[in-house]
Amino acid sequence: MKAALIGAGQIARQHLGCLEGIPGVQVVGICDLSPSVAESAAERHGVPAWFTDYKAMLTDTRPDVVHVTTPPPSHFRLAMDSLDAGAHVIVEKPATSTFAELDQLVGRATERGKALIEDHNYVFNAATREIRRRIETGLFGAVVHVDVLICLDILGPGGFADPNTKHPALSLAGGAIADFLPHLASVAHAFVGPHRDVRSVWKKRKDTVLPYDEFHALVDAERGTATVGFSGAAQPDGFWVRVYGEKMQATTNLFETRLTFDRVRGGPKPLRPLLNGLEEGSAVSRAAVGSLMRKFKIGPGAYDGMWDLVTRAYQALASGSALPVTTADVLAVNRLVDALKPASPRA
Amino acid sequence: MKALVTGANGFLGQHVVRALLGKGHAVRALVRPAAKVESLGWPDTVEVVRADLRAARELEAAFDGVDVLVHLAAAVSGGEDAQFASTVVGTERLLDAMARSSCRRIVLASSFALYDWSAISGTLDEQSPIEAGADLYARDGYTIAKSWQERVTRRYAEKHGFALTVLRPGFIWGKDHGYLAACGQQIGKVHVVIGPFSHMPLTHVENCADLFAVCAADPRAKGETFNVVDGAGERIWGYLGDHLRGVGEKGFRVPVPYTLAYGVVSLAFATIFKRNLKLPHVLVPCRFESRLKPLRYTNRHARDVLGWRPPLGYRECLARTYTRA
Repeated sequence: MKAALIGAGQIARQHLGCLEGIPGVQVVGICDLSPSVAESAAERHGVPAWFTDYKAMLTDTRPDVVHVTTPPPSHFRLAMDSLDAGAHVIVEKPATSTFAELDQLVGRATERGKALIEDHNYVFNAATREIRRRIETGLFGAVVHVDVLICLDILGPGGFADPNTKHPALSLAGGAIADFLPHLASVAHAFVGPHRDVRSVWKKRKDTVLPYDEFHALVDAERGTATVGFSGAAQPDGFWVRVYGEKMQATTNLFETRLTFDRVRGGPKPLRPLLNGLEEGSAVSRAAVGSLMRKFKIGPGAYDGMWDLVTRAYQALASGSALPVTTADVLAVNRLVDALKPASPRA
Repeated sequence: MKALVTGANGFLGQHVVRALLGKGHAVRALVRPAAKVESLGWPDTVEVVRADLRAARELEAAFDGVDVLVHLAAAVSGGEDAQFASTVVGTERLLDAMARSSCRRIVLASSFALYDWSAISGTLDEQSPIEAGADLYARDGYTIAKSWQERVTRRYAEKHGFALTVLRPGFIWGKDHGYLAACGQQIGKVHVVIGPFSHMPLTHVENCADLFAVCAADPRAKGETFNVVDGAGERIWGYLGDHLRGVGEKGFRVPVPYTLAYGVVSLAFATIFKRNLKLPHVLVPCRFESRLKPLRYTNRHARDVLGWRPPLGYRECLARTYTRA
């Protein structure tokens, strides 16, 4: 299969790293508005052609799959034109700036018989996959509730809160936090399904260019409930997911490799906290070493979910089997994202 | 003569502005929108233009009445891609604007980092090979961005007929910038000095700025590339000792032979670390060499072409670096 990328920045390099390892996939072109960004990415990853005009790339290289890895406001147009050029589309999150655009995009993909896959990478992280495996095999019991909370310092001057130039994510409703809503929504959706009702609180704690830096919401969904949140002030950085099942509870930090389980055990009840504690202690120690080693290892690091998702997507597209992220998933996750967004553009 | 100086409020930029003014040139200083310039003590004659090269739409006006662009702006920290965007994409945008103006003269701040340190032995000079091809991407984000910045600038110069001078400074030192990558590894009060008798490609910020100001005005500099160093370079052991005395720190220096340290790093890289480029710089052999390889340095080319000599000797530089104001 022939792949092409529009956008050659940081996240594109993760896509390229992953594509290099998938048998039968050839990256035929890469495009960026900056010629040197496009050319250097091509040189670095051995891509035969680079472009600054994506339409020329679509015409010249005729890719089977286009990865849209540009800043969010440009996704809609690029994804639409890629579908029209006859390609499947893997688009970085958030797939579009508004739900109305997403709906149109899904409509076009369906009309053309093409896949539209949004990068729900954290649903495919090793820890998330292990929890889902235990749920599928019945070990976990039915999921009752899930807590999803990202703590991330987005207030520093180098990133979203850059005082010199407006970060592209700040054009989204909710600002920088909106860039993370697809992560929160996709993980919650993976455990409790499509939402029915949402109550959100958006706040601003610090005096920066960001419209909001704190967000928390309670979600009523088809298979259970969820809380989702983002804190720009709580430290240290972490992506905490806690899943509550009828037989087991799982806690993971998706920025690292930490994953622990508490389970209902046989034997004397007073010993349960001790046994769960010992098991947790040993899992945390192993994960701590694993997180450190991961930093020194060749491979996706914290992007392991994206590598897994993209690999599965190509396998499914090649064999015609079920996609790892379906159109229904993309719609449900983005409906939730839309419902979570703040009512007013600023606090 | 009027010079447009980018990165004018940076460590080198502040001194380049002063050096240009000192030689009687007019200066327009380009700084980022949020930069604080009030404390720099520039005279009112310095025109301050605020723009972020990554995003500004109206850069052309900055070239009005400008005879020479002195392009110093580059990111020195941040992730690899952020550095590339600031340094290289910023340069593309700036030079696009310059191409639409009447200014045709440019002096670029490049870097010693560009050289292919693994391939060089003996004396490093302007004829030494620079890192290119796939090997470049094994180097750090700063080197990748600076290499592309020079590459892009040379292409623009070729295409639009700019008269280009490329200056490649070694390690720039000066007040609050005395501790350099070549000093080795600091662990608490212990300084592990790798190759204690190696020379360092030092360029004191005031000497370096002087050559920028000279090149901006001297037509003999057109089309030239100059390495910028104070001379053959102090030895690491002595320099670090002077630095520790200068800042009043009680540190212990532990010498480790370069070949031993390089051998250990190379062996570990090829075996236990499986050639992983995510390692800290000191554990990746090509980056280790670019900071520590024992070579000789010279400013002979600048001397031959321009008759330039660094205005300050080592002792004067030390005094200016470590004397409290």
